[in-house]
Parts: sequence; C-alpha cells; structure tokens
Amino acid sequence: MSADVTLENITVKFDEFTAVKNADITIKGGEFFSFLGPSGCGKTTLLRAISGFQEPSEGLVRIGGKDMTGIGPNKRPTALIFQNLALFPLMTVWENIAFSLEVKGVSKAERMKRADELLELVALPGQGGKMVNELSGGQRQRVAVARALAAEPEVLLLDEPLSALDLKLRQHMRTELREIQQRAGITFIYITHDQGEALTMSDRIAVMREGLIEQVGEGTIVYDNPATAFVASFVGENNAFHGTVTKVISSKVVVNTDSCELEAYLAEGSKLSVGDKAIVFARPEAISFVKRKNSAKNVINTEVVHQEFEGHFWHLILKGPKGMKIKMSQINDGSTQVYDEGTKIQVQIDPKQAIALAIGPLAAE
Amino acid sequence: MSSATILRLTTSFYIILFFAYLFGPLIVMSITAFNSAAFPRLSPWDCFSTEWFGVLVNDARMMDGFKNSLIIGFAVVLVSVPIGLAGALMLSQLSNRVRPVFYTLTISTILVPGVVLGISTLIFWDRMGMMFNAGYESFFYDGIVLTVIGQSTFISAYTMLVFISRLQRFDPVLEEAALDLGATNIQTFRKILLPFLKPAIGSAAVLAFLASFENYNTTVFTIVSESTLTTVLASKVRYGINPSISALAVIIIGLTLTVAFIHEVLKRKEQAREIALKKEGQSVKEKSTVRKPFRNPVPVMVLLIFVVGLGTAWMARGYDVQQCKIEVFEEKRKHQEELSKKRRAEMQKKLNTQKSTSSSDPVESTKKAAPGTIQYGNIFAPTNLEGQVESNETEPEIQKNQYQNIFAPTNLEGQVKSENE
Amino acid sequence: MIIWFQKFFERNGVVLSLYMLIVTFIWIVVMFVLPQIFMFDFSFRFNWTQIDPSKIGGPEDIYTLQHYKFLLFGSPNNPDPFNIVDVSVFARTILAAVFVTLFDVILCYPVAYYLAHVAKGGVTRLMMLSLVVPFWINELLRAFAFRILFGEEGTINNILLFLGILNQPIDFVRENIALYTGLGYAYILLMIFPIYNAVESLDRNQIEAARDLGSPWWRIHWRVVIPYAKPGITSGCTMVFMLSAGALALPQIIGGPSSLWFTQIIYQWFNTGSNWPRGSAYAVSLLVICVIFVLLIMKIFKVKFGEIGR
Repeated sequence: MSADVTLENITVKFDEFTAVKNADITIKGGEFFSFLGPSGCGKTTLLRAISGFQEPSEGLVRIGGKDMTGIGPNKRPTALIFQNLALFPLMTVWENIAFSLEVKGVSKAERMKRADELLELVALPGQGGKMVNELSGGQRQRVAVARALAAEPEVLLLDEPLSALDLKLRQHMRTELREIQQRAGITFIYITHDQGEALTMSDRIAVMREGLIEQVGEGTIVYDNPATAFVASFVGENNAFHGTVTKVISSKVVVNTDSCELEAYLAEGSKLSVGDKAIVFARPEAISFVKRKNSAKNVINTEVVHQEFEGHFWHLILKGPKGMKIKMSQINDGSTQVYDEGTKIQVQIDPKQAIALAIGPLAAE
Repeated sequence: MSSATILRLTTSFYIILFFAYLFGPLIVMSITAFNSAAFPRLSPWDCFSTEWFGVLVNDARMMDGFKNSLIIGFAVVLVSVPIGLAGALMLSQLSNRVRPVFYTLTISTILVPGVVLGISTLIFWDRMGMMFNAGYESFFYDGIVLTVIGQSTFISAYTMLVFISRLQRFDPVLEEAALDLGATNIQTFRKILLPFLKPAIGSAAVLAFLASFENYNTTVFTIVSESTLTTVLASKVRYGINPSISALAVIIIGLTLTVAFIHEVLKRKEQAREIALKKEGQSVKEKSTVRKPFRNPVPVMVLLIFVVGLGTAWMARGYDVQQCKIEVFEEKRKHQEELSKKRRAEMQKKLNTQKSTSSSDPVESTKKAAPGTIQYGNIFAPTNLEGQVESNETEPEIQKNQYQNIFAPTNLEGQVKSENE
Repeated sequence: MIIWFQKFFERNGVVLSLYMLIVTFIWIVVMFVLPQIFMFDFSFRFNWTQIDPSKIGGPEDIYTLQHYKFLLFGSPNNPDPFNIVDVSVFARTILAAVFVTLFDVILCYPVAYYLAHVAKGGVTRLMMLSLVVPFWINELLRAFAFRILFGEEGTINNILLFLGILNQPIDFVRENIALYTGLGYAYILLMIFPIYNAVESLDRNQIEAARDLGSPWWRIHWRVVIPYAKPGITSGCTMVFMLSAGALALPQIIGGPSSLWFTQIIYQWFNTGSNWPRGSAYAVSLLVICVIFVLLIMKIFKVKFGEIGR
C-alpha cells in the first residue's frame, strides 16, 4: 500500500550545473515527508528523479527496496501532482480521475464507481460531470489529488501544490491534505518553499539549499535545533547575531557580538572552539522585556524603530547598539503597550532559547 | 480641411479602391454568368438566363476533370495531414541547432516554384519506373498518383504549419501527467495529444483539400494523360470562353461565401463559450450565442444576397429565356435593317453625286456600285441576317482567340497537345 | 548522435518514433530532395528517350552541357550570338516578377498597416474576411475574370467607350497590362499577411511617441514602422517574386503574344518539344535564379530564414 523511498547518494547534473548533490536519505512508508527550501535549491529535480522523469547522474532511487534505475515514470508506483496541476482540459472531472484506470483497461462502469468513491474522499461529491475549467482553484486541487490517488500509488509526490491558492484556502487545504494522507495511508513526499506548510503538515522535513540537504528531522527539531545557520534562518524567523566565541563550557558558549555578549547553548552536533566565528540565533518570541535588571543575562539596549500588529502577535522592530535590526514578538494577550519610535527599551534573550551555530550562509532576506 | 482629415479621407478612399480592385473582377464575372450572350460580358446585355449553368454541367471534360480533382484532393488530405503532423512533432523535439535546418528544408517546399516540383516529381518517378522496368500501366506513370505525390510535397508544409501553431499552445506537462499515471507513449499520444490537435486536424484537412483542388502549376506537369478541373479550365483558353466558366465561378464563389459564413458563426459560438467558461463555476448559456452572429454585418449581407438571389430566381421562373432571345434577335435584325437602309441611302447619294460629276464612265461607276450591292445584297436576304447576327457574336471571338494563339504558336501547340494526351 | 536517438525513442516510444522519423524522411528525402537531384542530373543528359531509347543507361549515356548551352546560345544554326528569344524571355520574366513584387509592396503596405493599426475591431474582422475570401476562389477562375474584364469586348473597354474616353477599345491583353494587373492581384494575400503580422506587433506607443515629437506621417513610416516590418516585407516579397516568376496559369490565360513567360517555354519543352532534359535544364535555371534572388533579398535586408510562415 505504501512504500519506503530511499535516495542513495543521488547527484543530478545538467551539463555544468549540479542541481542535486549527494542526496542520501530514507523516507519511511506512510510518512508525510517534506522537502523545504528556496527556489532553485533542487527540490523539484529530486522529485522528478523519484518519479522517473529525470535519471540521476549518479546514485539511484529505491522504492520499496527495488532499484528504479531505467524504469520510466509510467512504470513506477508513484503518482505526481504537478505545480500547475496538469488536469486534462478536454476531459470531464471523472474522466480525469479515472484516467489511470482507463489506461489499464478497466471497464467503464468500474471506473465511474471508483471515481465517485474518490470524489467522496476529497469532498467533491457529484462533481464528476463538470469540465475542469468550470471548477474553482481549490476544487481543482482536490481533483488532482483524487486523480493521483486513483492510480493507487505507493508514493504520492506533490510539487508545491498550494502555491497558487490564497491564504485562507491554503490553510484549509493544508489540513485537508494531511487528513487525506492519514486516511489513505500512503507515503506523501511534499515539496514547498513555505516553511509554515512544511511545519504544519509533515512528519519529517528535509531542508535543502543549493542542491544539498542541510538537515532532516521532525518539525520541532528543525525549528528548535537547527543544524546549520541556513536552516536556522530559513525555518521560521530568527534574529542572527554575528560574533566570535570567547568561552566554551560543555554545551554552553559565550559569543561576543556587536550587540552584546551573548550566552547561548551549543547546537547538537556542532563543534565550536574559542576564537571561531559563530552566529547566535534567537527567535523573536525568545526575546522579552527585561524583568529583573541585575541578574538578567543577554541584555541588549535597543531603540524602537517600528511596531506591527499581526493579529495574535505584536512585533517590535528594534535597533541594537551597532544598528542591527532585531525583531521581537509578543503574544497579544492584551498587555502589550504601544511604543513610540525612538523609545529606548532594554530587552533580553533567554539563554536556553538562544542557539549558537558555526558561521554559514543564511537564507536570503 | 486639416491635413489629418485629408490624410484620413485619402486613406479611406484608397482602401475602398483597393477592395474594388479585389472584388471587382469577381463581381463582374459572376454577373456575366447570367447573360445569355455567348461570350461573357456585361454589355451589351442580351437576356437574363441561367442556361450556362446547364452547359457547365453537361460539359463532359469539365465534369471528368472535376471528378479527378475531388479524388486527388481527398488523397492529398490523407497523405499530407499525417506528414505535416509528423513534421510538426519532429520540429518540437529537435535541438536548437538542428531545428532551423529542418524548418528551412520543409518551408523550401513551398518556396520552390510549383513547376519545378511538378517536373522533378515527374522525372524522378519516371526514372524510378525505368529502374524497376515497370509497365506503363503501373503507378509510376499514373497521372493521379504522381499529382498526389507532387502536390503533397508542398501541401504537407502547409499542414505542418497549422500543426506547429496549434502545438505551441500545448502544455507538455500534460503528457508527463499522463505518463505518470501509467499511460504508455501511444496511449498518451492517442488520448491526450490527438484530442487536443483535433481542431488543427480539421483545419489542416480543409486547407490541404482547397490547396490541392486549386493547384495548377505542379499539377499540369504531373497529371500526364489525365486532367483536373484546373487543367481543363486552362485549356479552355484555346477553345474559347463561354459564360459556363462564369457559371462555375458563381458556384464556387457562392460555396466559398457560405462556408465562410458558417465558419464565422461557428467561431463566434466557440468564442462565446470560452468567455462564459472563464467565469468559474458558471454553466454555459446556450441561448445568447444564437443572436451573436447577427451582430456582424458580413454574414447578414451574405445571407441577404443569398435570399435576394433565391427570390429573384423564383420570380424569374415565369420568365422565358427563349422568348427573350427571340426578342433580342428581332431587335438586332431591326437594327441591322436600319443600318443597311442608311447605307443604301448613302450609297444612293454617292452614286448620284458620282453620276453628276463623272458622266463619262457609267460602266465604271456601275462596276463600283456592283461590288457594293453584292456586299449589301447579302445583308438583305433574311436568312443571311440570322447568320450575320449570330456570327457577329461568336465569330469575332473565335477569330480573336485564333489570332492570339497564332502570335504565340507555342501556346496553340501546347494546348493541342494537352487535349490529345 | 546515438544518444540523441536513444533519448528520442525513450521519450516517444517505438511506434511514434518510427512514425515520425520514417514519415519525415520520406517527405523530405524521397518527395523533395531526391527528385530535385534527379531533375538536376537529368538536365545534363541527352534526350535519349526521344532519339534512341536503347541508349539509356548504356555507355553513350554521358553527361552534357548541351541544354544549358542551348538556353544561352541557341541551336548551332543560330545566326545571333545568343539565344535571343529564350534569354530575353527569361530576363523579361524575372524583371516582370520584380516589377510585380514592387507593385504589390506599394499596394499592400498601406492596407496592411491600416488593418493592423487603424481599423477597429469589427471592421478589422470584416476586412480580414473580405481579403481571404477572394483567394479561396480558384486562381484560374480569377484569371478568367480578368480576361473578361480586359478583353476587347471586355467590361473595362465597355465602360471607357461608354464614357466617351475612348473611341476604340484598347487591347489590354496585347499591352500586357492585363497580365501585370492580374499577377499583382493574384498574390496580394501573400504580401498583406506577412506585413500585417510584422506590423501588428509594433507597439502603437512608438508611433504615438514619434508623432508626439513632431514627425510627419511619412517619416514615421519611413523611420519607425518600415524598419520594424522589414521581416514581414521581405517574406512577402520573397513569396510574391517566387510565385510570379514561376506563374504558369496566368500567362497562359491572360498573357498576350508579346508576354511569353519563361515557364511557358519550359512547358513547351515537355509537351511539344518532347525534350525533357532540356525542359529540366530550363527549370533548373529558373530555380537557381529564384534561389539567388531570395538569398540576395535576405542579405540586403539582413533577414533570417525563420521569419517566413503564415
């Protein structure tokens, strides 16, 4: 019903350009797995390699333990949902859904029955007779999913399927897709550049940058314990304090940055020594107002630049001592004041929520 | 008037003149089809008659040529549409370096003069026939087969262009989706690509048929001993034109306009449907599309003309052509009589003045008069009148044609040969 | 190369790949290129089919320049230094084709421009349709229509006589006016549409800007529109020239005694002359001149081949 997907040391090269470098992971059967990364990081190429449209230059793909080298996309137990959905415009909804059965020679009656079942599954009952272009964006999404599911794949691949939808619909579809996946029990491999999507939907996430997989793990781990500076800056918002390591005490480090001396904990698997260049990351929600002036650690003197209201969060954009932009977020529990521009306030970063990582490329602003 | 207005007026005038140039000959020709005169002309207008349509249908050579044109047309469609499709598909898959070469090669078939295509096809298959020692009955020498081959060579390029233009709007991802869902290459082709190309196949087929039907330059060489409608028409230059050709023109023009009208109506329905579908979730309203074609003036005009034409034809049924002809004939006879009366009077005058001036030579003057009377004597005989009137119409034309051809002896011989072969 | 074939077969499956390759091969090689080569070869051979068929393929079936020589110099008995008749006909055909091309450019450019930029929606469609409809009507019938118009008892003469402008009908046919007008008329569509396509994509703002800067209308055309429309004009000229030089039906139907067309001579050689090799030689010469012309045009106007299409 669902299968593991193993990528064994896959490299994909196009002439001079290497799109994917040494990708080596195993995706468990029945898992909702996401590849997360900015455009051009190679996630689409990887997806096409798994589905059979792109042969890797090196390495191989295994699905369910079987080597897929040389096997075309129509023979692999995968189904791909394209970014633009690629629904067949000249066919009706149920013809689209039943297509994979049609090419196998299944009888018309059987096909119609199956299509109706799937329409129920994706909450589009009775829409089978319509033409594709009579449906709304969200409805088309669901038809695409139904069509892919009709092929009874062991692995379902989704290429940024929600990027064309508006916010509300996107949020709704996130939950829906997750539910469908759990009901069907198939391995879902999902690619996106939206980390909110990845975090809410996936069992595990692989963060990619320029062809390399930087970290693989569950959402909480990737978020709270990023393995590299890139992952830290890409997944969720993060303030990055550049500096040099002055002290290392087991799993704690002290880094001297422009804003102040920061005490942070060392990321797992990260090795830093005194004198190394490092970045201390602190999430906006890890910054708070100074409570006990004297015993507070990681205190920064800032000046208010800007205050934003985003519904359930208040954001304060602050300017640090050397001009660094710092973002601080407070839950809207009714207690937040409104500050004028230029107000001087002191803030502190919880050392347990500050993480130090070796210096590396950050996500683009 | 400002210079801008003058410019605009001049341009409009020019455009009108241009369209007069474009339609003039056709309109004139159509009208001549209904003139009972033996040579197509507008004036003098003898009688309104539809007899030339009958002559057209009874012309065996023309009908034979027409039949061949139809056969060849259908065959060319069957050959050139698949070729054009293959060409278009190939083109879409070639690398950026090879593609221009391939494109140039295929487009060259259109640019090369038709006569060259005809000649080269003829020679090639003739030599091939010799190599295989094929008999004269075999397909190597068959005019119909050769014409189909020769025409398809360049008509395939036309169909290819139609397919290229349609393919450009095809989303290749659809093919990938089909493959991904388990379809084989052939299934993808049959179920996804071909349905998309269906309208193009239709246009290409119509285009191919029309291009084949009206082709002359290539056909005249490859047709060998057969004939098509076009070669028959061309050979009429020697035999003399009569309004049956105009009748043919009227039929073809009428057909063309009807087809154009239908095409317009269909296209508008299609467009209306597309616009309606763009609004998400709405179903198409069928009623509104019927009224739309009548907003465009052209189909209305065409329909009007058609209706008027039919009405006139209906009303004219009580009108007897023969009667009209007899009347016309009578008029001409009267006209001739008056003319001859005049001439007689003048001759009398001349004779009288001659008699008075030179009385010494009555013999000579009578001699002079005698040939004159003999000339005019012919006119007076009523039976001769008939011959005179008719031959006035037909003889000069035939004479003219003959003279034209004599000056270009090659033309004459060429036409003779084509009749005999 | 082999990799390309492999990928091609992979991408399209065996059946489709074979279909595409075989069909296009047959089209281009068997139907087009090979016959041209055979014709070319044939033009250098003696006319054995007429003289002595047994000699075909034998040792005496060698190559000869006889036919090309004939085209240029005439038969050995020819008192003139050149084959005046044939050569002059050739030259005149080419010149006439050039003339017709120019006439068509000048005639059609304003209309194409008008269609692209001045006419509004409904009018544009009407005009397009009315341009296309006459050309669905057989070329020969149109030629006959011109015959009717221009004949001695034709309509134009009738009108002019009626209006008293003339006392005697003009023999238009003899004066070749009928032929040239007919040729100009025949290929209007092929001149208008390329120009229209080229001009249509010109951003109207450029024209507005030029007018704004005070440029008179003729200069706007000369400096802005025409350079932009160059590919369209060139492609139109190419097609009209090729078709005029290679026209056969029109000269036969409305050609006068003094306007023998080169294609008619070619036709003779195949029909009455029964000298196919000679006819081929003449045909090859025509082809060569046409190709040279096209290449020249493309070079002068610096246009690439890819711009020609409907």
